[in-house]
Amino acid sequence: MIEHDFDEEFVPIAAELQRLPYLSPSRDFADRVIAGIDRLQPARGVAPVLASRHLELHQGGQQAVIPRRRMGVMRATGRATAGVALIAAAAFMFFEVDVLTAILAAATTQYAFAIAAVGAQVGSMVLGPETIAYLQAGAVQAVLLYMTLAVGLFGGYGAIRTAAHIAKRKAA
Amino acid sequence: MTPKSYTDVSDQQVVVFAQEGREDAYRELIKRYERPVFSLIFRMVRDKETSEDLAQETFIKVLNNIDRYRPEFKFSSWLFKIANNITIDHLRRRQLDTISIEGAPDAITAERARATAVTVTSGGESPLEELESRELGAAIEKAIAKLRPEYRACIILRHVEDYSYDEIAEIVKLPLGTVKTYIHRARQELREYLEGVR
Repeated sequence: MIEHDFDEEFVPIAAELQRLPYLSPSRDFADRVIAGIDRLQPARGVAPVLASRHLELHQGGQQAVIPRRRMGVMRATGRATAGVALIAAAAFMFFEVDVLTAILAAATTQYAFAIAAVGAQVGSMVLGPETIAYLQAGAVQAVLLYMTLAVGLFGGYGAIRTAAHIAKRKAA
Repeated sequence: MTPKSYTDVSDQQVVVFAQEGREDAYRELIKRYERPVFSLIFRMVRDKETSEDLAQETFIKVLNNIDRYRPEFKFSSWLFKIANNITIDHLRRRQLDTISIEGAPDAITAERARATAVTVTSGGESPLEELESRELGAAIEKAIAKLRPEYRACIILRHVEDYSYDEIAEIVKLPLGTVKTYIHRARQELREYLEGVR
């Protein structure tokens, strides 16, 4: 019993508060709590991530590659396109740079990820998703793929730029 | 040594058995405190399902960290402290201030109200006494529910659980002076709410 530290008016309320009954949770409450106590659960297996990745590479590399989120790529591509357009417009308006150079420069310097993503999608269409997955999962193969993509990117950029110069000269 | 029954075993000793990984010790701690903890939480959130979830979360958190228990403190104080923290966090998230003794505040159908209402165990009184007691008890429950959540926790811990001001300050993590002020104001408000009932 607690000692009185309140006035007489509160005495009946205090008495009533002490008489308030305890309320009971559901009958299976204890079982549900026990089910949540880690120490009382049988050991759960943890997937050996590094080992499984290597093993899956031999199985075609399909599962070792985390599936890309289609929406994420689309959104990134959309944002990149909008950004490139803005930078190109600014470059065209405020500096005496031709539109094509501005677009390509902006794209290669600022939006390499989006270009790589688009390249991977195109590669997936051309080479097939299995090949792409295998290449992405293997270290050597991935380096080769990325080198091919980089060479293709810079080669393509150079070719387009040269064509643009030729067209410009002819027009002049 | 492992006891056949935990009847005369102190909380501290049961905790030691639980720390050794004994399931019956865990169950004993749940059995001892499920009703006080559930009652405290229910009187703060006024929803049976939510109270069960929060009480469950409290026990799981405490019992998963049983190795961190410091025996110089009362086990029940530690348990109530976690229960209070979890409940206050929930109330801050949900802003549940209005209540109904008959069921959850969001109980829009009779079925939902029945499902969320709590059955109060009878104390073995005569029907008339029980009715009077239930009327006054219900009035007190409603009055408690009108208090601010911080006041509710303090007044319940003081008058229902018999904790000292110092212990309450430790449980609710507030300065002693603030706890005294909260309890004083809670008493005043309860007196006002119950003016016409007594």
